[in-house]
Amino acid sequence: MDALKPYQLKKSAAEKFVLMGGPIIILGVLIIIGLGTQNALFILGISVIAIGAILILVGSFRYTNVVKGFKKDYLPTVIKDWIDQGEYRPDFGLDQSIVYACEFLPGADRFFSEDYVRGYIEGVPFQMSDVKLQRKHTTQTKNGTQTYYVDYFVGQYYVLDFNKNFEGAVQVLESHRPESNRPFKKVKLESVAFNKTFKTYATGEHTAFYLLTPQMMERMMELEKTHSGQLGFSFIDNKMFIAIHNNHSILEVRMFRKLDDSLIESFKNDFRLLDDLVKELKLNKKIYKEI
Amino acid sequence: MDNPIVIIALVLVGLILIVGLWYIATMNTLRQLEVKVGEADSGIDVALTKRFDALSKLVNTTKGYAKHEASIFENVTKWRKGLPDSLSMEQKQEFLGKMNEVQSGINVAVENYPDLKADKVFINLQNSINEVEAHLQAARRLYNSNVSTLNQKIVTFPISFVAGNINMAKKAFFEADVAKRQDVDVAF
Repeated sequence: MDALKPYQLKKSAAEKFVLMGGPIIILGVLIIIGLGTQNALFILGISVIAIGAILILVGSFRYTNVVKGFKKDYLPTVIKDWIDQGEYRPDFGLDQSIVYACEFLPGADRFFSEDYVRGYIEGVPFQMSDVKLQRKHTTQTKNGTQTYYVDYFVGQYYVLDFNKNFEGAVQVLESHRPESNRPFKKVKLESVAFNKTFKTYATGEHTAFYLLTPQMMERMMELEKTHSGQLGFSFIDNKMFIAIHNNHSILEVRMFRKLDDSLIESFKNDFRLLDDLVKELKLNKKIYKEI
Repeated sequence: MDNPIVIIALVLVGLILIVGLWYIATMNTLRQLEVKVGEADSGIDVALTKRFDALSKLVNTTKGYAKHEASIFENVTKWRKGLPDSLSMEQKQEFLGKMNEVQSGINVAVENYPDLKADKVFINLQNSINEVEAHLQAARRLYNSNVSTLNQKIVTFPISFVAGNINMAKKAFFEADVAKRQDVDVAF
């Protein structure tokens, strides 16, 4: 892919700076350890370390700029090709109110959201972004109170318009519990394997059986197998919310990892989840055919 | 309290109490499950009635095109005012089978009439039948799931003993005739 070439070259150049900086710092440290008793050599060692550090800093700065450029200029174009009316905004994210609308993610003390994508798949509108939720913890130490934050959700959050009319709400959760005032009750579906993998909560049993068709359950099980992390699905107010807690960000470029067609393909694969689900929902007029 | 007879009597009373409480709890569980089966059964009735209403509208729309199906439909109109409470699961299945027969006949007949296939009213009716069919399948699965839970308990010892005492028998499943339901693909 020619369009990738400039980013590959710039990324590689930035990484070279970092790669050079590391051994130079080690050399500087060795000079100080081995010969550092003499002032002149000590200064030489410090200077060598400083040069190494500068190289790493410059490399990191350049790398950050390459990634920013890649996300700002390259990714929106390819996402437009993959997704109908696809729009990608790297520095923007889903609003907290949308994330908590799933009613199974508890309120966070610190909320982060970025890498926002929206568009249509098979005519169904969707939006998604990376989401990180943190909870505040405090401990008492001899120096006073220490505050730190612990991640309890890091992953992707999707919102899709659901084209079925239904009453109440249904949640299919791998590890979470409903965080809602609705009268959720645990529902057991006919699939033993499904019940083992997910806990289903619904405000009415009929709605749970209506939404979770055998095909839908099968699809959810497949998703669970193919996606690392914990999945949560919520069907509320004609919307479907999907949260994947996998300690992973999508559309991320990593230092010293290839920036090539295979990476772009893996990004595309991240959207296949949506594609599969949307197709399943779109085909809901036929899904009862082969029960 | 040192009297062994008193101790034995207390142990016996304790055991009888435990067994009695277990018996009552098991009986209540079975009764609750039976109520759930009954509720799910009502759900099937509601869904069948909705399916009947939707099909009735479809038959009226296609009467001129699918005369044979309209006449078959006349056979099921005896339940126009809703399903009687006394209807057995087998009769409900038969009723559904008849409706499926009419539906698949209409689908075949309509293939020869592109104008009808493109008619908005007809398309809306087909969509509403799909929706009703989805609810019917949900009701059927919920019912069967509840029946399965109840039946499993009823045949498991010692619960089977309690079930026998209160004359609770295994419930019939609402079987779906796969061949017929495959015919009821109303998507065009």
